[in-house]
Amino acid sequence: MTQGNFNVILDSMPATETRLEVLFRQAGDGFLQMEYGRAQRAALQDSFRMLAVNDIIHAKKIKGLIETVPGLRTNLFHFDPEALDVASLIAKIKEAEDSMPTIDDVVLESRIIHLPIAFEDSETRKAVEKYLKEVRPGAPNIIDGYNLQYMALCNGVSVQEAKNMILGTEWFNSGGGFWPGGAFLWPTDPRCALVVPKYNPPRTWTPEAAVGIGGPCVFTYTTPTGGGYQLFGRTIPVFQFSQKHPMFKDGPFLYRPADRVRFHETTEADILRIHEHVHDKTDYTYRTESGKIVVKDYLAWYHSAEVQNGINELKAKQAEGVKKAPRL
Amino acid sequence: MLKVINGGIETLVEDWPGRLGFLGKGMAPSGAFDNVALGFANLLVGNPPGEAAFEVTGGFFEAEFGLNTAIAVTGTPKAPLLNGKEIPMWESLEVKPGDVIKFSHIGQFGFRWYLAVAGGVDVTPYLGSKSTCIFGSYGGYEGRKLADGDVVRLLKPSRSLREVIGRRVRKELIPPYPREWTLRAIPGPNTSPDYVTAAGMDYLFSHSFKIQHTSNRSAYRLEALPDSFFARPDGGVGGSHPSNIIDHAYAMRGALNICGNTPVLLIADGPTLGGYMCALSVINADLWKVGQGTPNRDFIKFQVATQAEATRARVDQKKLLTENSLT
Repeated sequence: MTQGNFNVILDSMPATETRLEVLFRQAGDGFLQMEYGRAQRAALQDSFRMLAVNDIIHAKKIKGLIETVPGLRTNLFHFDPEALDVASLIAKIKEAEDSMPTIDDVVLESRIIHLPIAFEDSETRKAVEKYLKEVRPGAPNIIDGYNLQYMALCNGVSVQEAKNMILGTEWFNSGGGFWPGGAFLWPTDPRCALVVPKYNPPRTWTPEAAVGIGGPCVFTYTTPTGGGYQLFGRTIPVFQFSQKHPMFKDGPFLYRPADRVRFHETTEADILRIHEHVHDKTDYTYRTESGKIVVKDYLAWYHSAEVQNGINELKAKQAEGVKKAPRL
Repeated sequence: MLKVINGGIETLVEDWPGRLGFLGKGMAPSGAFDNVALGFANLLVGNPPGEAAFEVTGGFFEAEFGLNTAIAVTGTPKAPLLNGKEIPMWESLEVKPGDVIKFSHIGQFGFRWYLAVAGGVDVTPYLGSKSTCIFGSYGGYEGRKLADGDVVRLLKPSRSLREVIGRRVRKELIPPYPREWTLRAIPGPNTSPDYVTAAGMDYLFSHSFKIQHTSNRSAYRLEALPDSFFARPDGGVGGSHPSNIIDHAYAMRGALNICGNTPVLLIADGPTLGGYMCALSVINADLWKVGQGTPNRDFIKFQVATQAEATRARVDQKKLLTENSLT
C-alpha cells in the first residue's frame, strides 16, 4: 500500500436477500475485522449470526488463529501472521459464512444462567453514596440514595415496572471485553429494553457483583472497579481470580458468548450467603441450563403483532420519560 | 531474592509476549512495554528473550540482591549505580548478596529500563504469563507495582554464571532512542473514505504528535485531531460524536483509538473492546518504541506499512533477539 491509499476493505461478500454484505477490514498486524453491513446498527440478529459463524470457524481449528473477539456486528480475528496469511484466513471465514446462507438456518448454542439478584442492596448503595459525596454532589441520577428511580423516570415507567422488565427477559451476551470477565448483556425481549444514559462523570468504585445498565446494555461487575452504569442491585459472583470454586476451575470467567442470563429476585441476606458459599466455602451450585436460540423462531416472535405493539407502547412511554428525566 | 528498598515511580514484573488469547474475556496482553530491551537484557544473562524481568519506568528504583547471580540492565541510557558505582549497560555482570542497585531519573532519551536476572523472576504465571496488569491488579508480583519492603523471589540461573558474565550486546545493534519515534502502522479498520477524510488520513500519517503527559501503560494519548479529520457528521446509533461506533474489539496491542478528537494508542494493559473507531494499528515489531516514548517530551510519527512488511519485521526482530547479537 502506498501513502494516500487508505482503502482497508481487503475483501467482501455481497449482500443477499437474507444476509447483509460481509466486509473484511484490515485491522492491524495480525488482526482482521469482519463486519456485517456498512451501517451502524444495533440488532441482535447480527450478533446471533456472528456467533453462530464464529462457532463454525472455531470448529475448523485454524492453525495460527490465536482468538476471535466478537462484538455485536463485528468479529476481530487475532492471528499469528507468521503461521497464517490473511488471504487464507478470509477464505476459511467465507467457507463458514457460505455454510450458513440464510439467517433462518442459524441455531445458536446458548446456555441460560440463572442469577439471583437483590434490588437496591446496601453494598451497592455504598457505591452510590460515595459517588454523591466524592464525585458529583447533587447528581440528578441519584434519587433516595439509588439509581433505580432515575432509570424508571428515563423510561416513563414505575420502579416496579422497571424491576419487572429486568426480571422479565433473558439478557443475551453478545461477547465479552473491556473489563476482565465482563459481558455485554442485551434484552432478548424488546419490550423490556430499558435505555438509560451513563454516569457523567464516572464512578470511582463499584462493589463486586453490582448490576447496572448503561445505554441498552446490562453489566454485572466482575470485580470492584470504577464504572459508569446506573446501578440497581447486586447479584452473585460471576468471576473468580483465584479459581477456587469448581465453576471456575477452567478459567476465572463465568460467561461465554451467546449465554443468556435470567435474573431472579431474592433478599440481600441470600446474596451475601451465596457470596460466602462461592468464595469461602466454594460449595454453591450455580444454576445453568443448556439451550438453543432458533433464529427463525425468534424473528417470527419478534415481528408478531403482540411484540411489535409492546415495543411501540414502550417507545411512547420512553419518549415521555426522556422529556421529564434530567440530563446527566 | 531481591529486596526492594525503593519501588521507584513504577517498577513491574513483565514478560513477553504477555498474556495472549484473552481479549474476549476483557484481559489485555500486558507484557513488557519495550520487548527489545527486555529481550536483550534476558539474552545477556542466559535467559530466553521473553522471560520475566523488572521494568523500571521513570526511575528511582532501588533494591538489594540476596544471592550470587548475573544481571543486565538495558533501556534508557542512564547507567544505574551498583554499590554507588555506575555499571555498564547492555552488558551482563555479577552481583553478590548485599549488593545494592539504584536507579536515578531517566536519561536524555527513552523512558524505561529493564533489569534481568539470570534464571528469571519467580512469580506464579497467571493465565500463562508472569506479566503484571496494573490496570486490573493481577499477574506479576501481587498484581501491582513493587513497593518498599517487597521481597521478590528469583529463580536460579540455568547456566553457569561464568558463561554469561561479561557478555555485551554488539554496539551497532543497540537500538537508537530518538526524540521523535517513527512507528510503522497498518491503516484500518476505520479509515477513509467511510470514517475519515482523505485529508484526515494524510494528516495522521504526516503530523508529528506530541505524547501527552496523561499517558500510561493502558493508553498513550496524543495531540488532538482537527474536526476536519472525520468524514461523518456523527456516530449514528453508536453515539453523538463522529468517533463513536457500535462497540467493537480493539486490536490490542497497537490500535490507535480515536476517542472524541484525541488519538490514543492502546498498548500493554489497554481496553480490549469499546465504542470508538480505530484508524491504524502499530506493527508488532515497532511496539517497543512506544514504551520508550517519553510523555510530555517525545513525539510520534506514523508511517504506512503493509502486513507483508510487518511480518518481515517480526522475523527480523526474532533474529535480532538471539545470542548471535552478543559478543
